[in-house]
Amino acid sequence: MRIIDVHTHPILREDQRGPAGAAQLIRRARAHGIEHLVALGDVLAFSRMQTAEQVQLINDETAAVMRAHPHFVTGFCYLNPLLGPSVVEAEVARCVARGFRGLKLEIANNARDACMAPVMRAAEQHGLVVLQHAWSMTNIHQRRFHTDPEDVATLAQRFPRVPIIMAHLTGCGVRGILAVKGCLNVVVDTSGAAPEAGLVEFAVEQLGARRVLYGSDAPVRDFGVALARITGSRLDARTQRMLLHDNASALLRLP
Amino acid sequence: MNYLDANTWIGAWPFTFCDSHTARSLQAHLKRQGIQRALVSPLGAVLAPAPGPANRELLRTTRGLVGLIPVPVINPALANWREELVLVAADARVRAVRILPNYHGYRLRAPAVNELVAALTARGLRLIVQMRLIDHRHEYHAMKIKPVPAADLAALLDRHPQLAVLASGLLQPELRKWLPLYPQLLADLTFAEWYETLNHLREKVAARQLAFASHTPLLITAAARAKLDMSPRSKTERVAIASGNLDRWLP
Repeated sequence: MRIIDVHTHPILREDQRGPAGAAQLIRRARAHGIEHLVALGDVLAFSRMQTAEQVQLINDETAAVMRAHPHFVTGFCYLNPLLGPSVVEAEVARCVARGFRGLKLEIANNARDACMAPVMRAAEQHGLVVLQHAWSMTNIHQRRFHTDPEDVATLAQRFPRVPIIMAHLTGCGVRGILAVKGCLNVVVDTSGAAPEAGLVEFAVEQLGARRVLYGSDAPVRDFGVALARITGSRLDARTQRMLLHDNASALLRLP
Repeated sequence: MNYLDANTWIGAWPFTFCDSHTARSLQAHLKRQGIQRALVSPLGAVLAPAPGPANRELLRTTRGLVGLIPVPVINPALANWREELVLVAADARVRAVRILPNYHGYRLRAPAVNELVAALTARGLRLIVQMRLIDHRHEYHAMKIKPVPAADLAALLDRHPQLAVLASGLLQPELRKWLPLYPQLLADLTFAEWYETLNHLREKVAARQLAFASHTPLLITAAARAKLDMSPRSKTERVAIASGNLDRWLP
């Protein structure tokens, strides 16, 4: 089975994982049959609110992983939208020049905030995919800076030409799936929390098989467990192949 | 590998789209997943006003089904818990009972829990504490239920240092923090996950303190097996976690 993982953090200080650890993670990914992965950077390395210099360092680390593993790693450029349009635009241009193919948003701000406009314009200008962290805020109450699925829907409706990966299917849950159902530029990755039974099947039923992608969130999660969310589901083999590989390949325009 | 699952359930759970298993369908499902034996409790006892009817159904429907070991639920906050314990303990297949303090409205520090421990010890039965059933971040919006505080479990073990407890549903940071402090504690892998889960846990935790658990049908059964099947740990260690540790723990 061919597999692309759209959600990994090969460098992660919380896991004492530097460049050598990233190489080890990539070897382990290959052992699981993964043939390509998206590296998102150590996005909470310093705080949820990174300075411009810290953002650059995070993206430099991702670029180094890309250089060390050409053809295996696609980098997404981490951004702190609160740093303002000029910083955002400069960092996107710097990363695009180094071969990054997407943007990663975490919890500096909520996706519905006005500061997202320059980010999304840059994504549209450069033809980039946006991977937006999302989680249901029903029981967490941090929506001031933490993006709820409803906020992803708002962002997607404002920028319908930008493809968005809403991260963390399990964190978004049934309500999250339904929140983005009408936003055809939104796909969902299967990462996040424990592997709740029945949820991947529900996402495919509601969104269609083309709008659900395999993502692990490794090393925060275990590759084997993350893969089993799909291979251990009731989905047929053809649908599993779409989630594990074909959808990501098309979205990232991989050869 | 021979699997003994520490955490499975029959009955319906109204807040997710997971399967609703009868004892027979659970047995068939586990067999398809390569799991030969399992401790099984009734979901119907979690939300019902008293666990008795669900326990009775558990004991009735698992009878004759090889590999399913019934684990009734006891609620020591109810006045009749001693009678309920006598009833379930009359079935020779019952070797442990499960408690859910956060769903049944009491703390592990409650005097009734000490009384339950004494009653279980006198009968030679084991205690399973369900620390969390659902990730509390994803509880149904009308359910405001927090996990059982791990510090409460520690206090219980301090009060009863000889007590053999199985803690079900601890997270990996909790396992790494508390298991080294309480070597008599066995904990299941229901919610334990990190990159190379077993390697990560084994940095801090003795292998003999861990037990395989799928949390079927609430979580994906195959995902639980992946934690062991895909692990680079030795076969001896994986076999112990898959079944040996729990076999040894059961009376």
